[in-house]
Amino acid sequence: MLELLFLPALIIFGLSFIKSRKTHKPLAFISFFILIPTAELLRLPKPFHLLGDYLVVDDLNAYVLFVSSIVGIGVALALMTLDKHVEVSKNAYRRFYRFFAIFWVGLIFSILSNHMGIYWIGLELATLSTVYMIKTNHSNAAHKEAWNYMIVGAIAISLILFGIILIYASAKPILGEDAMNFNLLLAHAKEIKSPFLFEIGFAVVSVGMFVKMGFFPMNLWLANIERASFYPVAALFSGILESAVIIGFFRFSKIAMEVNYDHLFTFVFIYTVLTIFIVSFLIFRTKDFMRLFSLSGVEHMALIALFWVSGGTFAALLHFGAHAFLKPALFLSTGVLESNGKYRIAGALRGYKGKKGTLFWFLVSLFLLAVISLPPSPMFFSEIYGFGAMINVAKHGYHLLAMMAAILILLILLSIIFYKFIEVYQSMKYEGEVHSKKVYASELFSLVIFAFALIALIMPPVMNYLKGIL
Amino acid sequence: MVDFFIGLFLASLITALFTTRLYRLLMWYSFNSFTLGVLALLIGMKLQDNAMLITGIATILIKAVGIPYFLKSFSQKFHFVRQITPEIKVQYAIMLIPAILVFTFYLAEPITNMIANNSNYVAISISSLFLSLLLMMEHKNVAPKIIGFLSMENSLFLLGITATDGMPMLVELGIFFDLLMAIIVINLLFHREEMKNA
Repeated sequence: MLELLFLPALIIFGLSFIKSRKTHKPLAFISFFILIPTAELLRLPKPFHLLGDYLVVDDLNAYVLFVSSIVGIGVALALMTLDKHVEVSKNAYRRFYRFFAIFWVGLIFSILSNHMGIYWIGLELATLSTVYMIKTNHSNAAHKEAWNYMIVGAIAISLILFGIILIYASAKPILGEDAMNFNLLLAHAKEIKSPFLFEIGFAVVSVGMFVKMGFFPMNLWLANIERASFYPVAALFSGILESAVIIGFFRFSKIAMEVNYDHLFTFVFIYTVLTIFIVSFLIFRTKDFMRLFSLSGVEHMALIALFWVSGGTFAALLHFGAHAFLKPALFLSTGVLESNGKYRIAGALRGYKGKKGTLFWFLVSLFLLAVISLPPSPMFFSEIYGFGAMINVAKHGYHLLAMMAAILILLILLSIIFYKFIEVYQSMKYEGEVHSKKVYASELFSLVIFAFALIALIMPPVMNYLKGIL
Repeated sequence: MVDFFIGLFLASLITALFTTRLYRLLMWYSFNSFTLGVLALLIGMKLQDNAMLITGIATILIKAVGIPYFLKSFSQKFHFVRQITPEIKVQYAIMLIPAILVFTFYLAEPITNMIANNSNYVAISISSLFLSLLLMMEHKNVAPKIIGFLSMENSLFLLGITATDGMPMLVELGIFFDLLMAIIVINLLFHREEMKNA
């Protein structure tokens, strides 16, 4: 099974050395093979030990891996026509595939790991491989942002390692070297003799992860990088890399819930609400697609973290799935929208003729309206369930009124974002001049995959699966 | 003996903060990594931990010899600016560095109280972490920032061997692998060849 998981990435890595443009097509189709092992992992009885106690599949990571695989396929399809929209050299194109494969390997390790150390190694590998993907764009801005990502990303990842060491130090007296094992740590969380040390470690890990996801105070660094790099990089960031980061947050926070739930909730609540507060105003001021979607991604990740620590596991996972499909779809659409009029929002959705063109603007409209939680978007349901979970948490304490006030503030902030997206959509559809524009079949195919995946999320069997994840 | 090398580790990092020449900075990084490797060997021998002995040797070979060698060859290949004047003036740095050390010892007190062995070393490794961040912040050039990132990794390694009596072997080797990957990526980032081809 492990071999099957890594096989598509290894084939892509190998084929990237062939100096022929004809390899692009098979590369995209090879990525489909990842669905075989990931679908099988969803079906198998859990926990399934893939590699001893190091890589263990449970319902949570099987779901995250499956979602990430679909995103990976979508991005691989869109990559086929990258050179039609942007100027990219042959060497850089091949290297992009090479680092895409390494990125994929790192993420499989990260998502499936039941070991803090392996989780970190996988995440670091994925982070480093994205540095080169950013640099594939030969602009000075991309070169600067690649260095920026290298340095800020390295600081974030170092913070995560720092926190892991502290958590390991807190649990080693009772578990020995097994203190790196997530499941064992969760089972013995209440026995940790230095909970304070664990909590410091958790706080440091969380800050590292929050920096990587663009939370307060690093709200703009990710948006700037995604703006400077080619659009598939932004899709990979939002759809896959952030998935690996958030699954780590899920794992660590589950243990922190056992150690001291009140501390965890207060810390994450303040951090995420502050992030959404700042991001909503940044979105309001945004003037281009990439930054708009990127900042909206930060808002979604903050909501996912908030719902998760509020006990709304189902809401968090549904929101996560919707975010993972919607954001890459929008970023890939941006590549098409911008190639015919840089940064021009007005009229961006006009001029797409024929069956392909009509389907394209219809899908983009669908994604834009779904991302602001209009029903029947999965995000609508996840927010309803998530806010419900927050009220349930407050019911058990003495802070019901405070929580309701916080939810009200959040809704006001979300309505600012809603207003901006509607304004952007109207400008794209009804303003500006009409120019004839082109969309390629592979891009359309990838958007159709994302649309079907979104619809699947609100199907009863998928919802039941998500409700079963604890 | 361990105290002596911990002192050397910290001293080499502080000296690196005042360095204004790139090759000298590489030399201090190499020395810093060497003391770290020796520390891992000494603590490994004390604890009779073979995994730590192996990582100690790997640290000396990879970090004290390999990485400085590659970085020096990159600097020649890509014509790095070798005059690297820190943005923070020396008179301010002289006040700032002891302040960071004192602050870190105060900050790390609750943590050090919970760690049975080598508690002072934990405070030193956390202060090294802050000093490495300072090294990254005080330079505008990319090369010293890379050294700052690598020194930060050294500080975390020191924290690993002192606070936890060594991380699992698998993790240590994984970190080394990632470091090598980082060097490859850094090489590619400096590479401008494709720019000409585009």
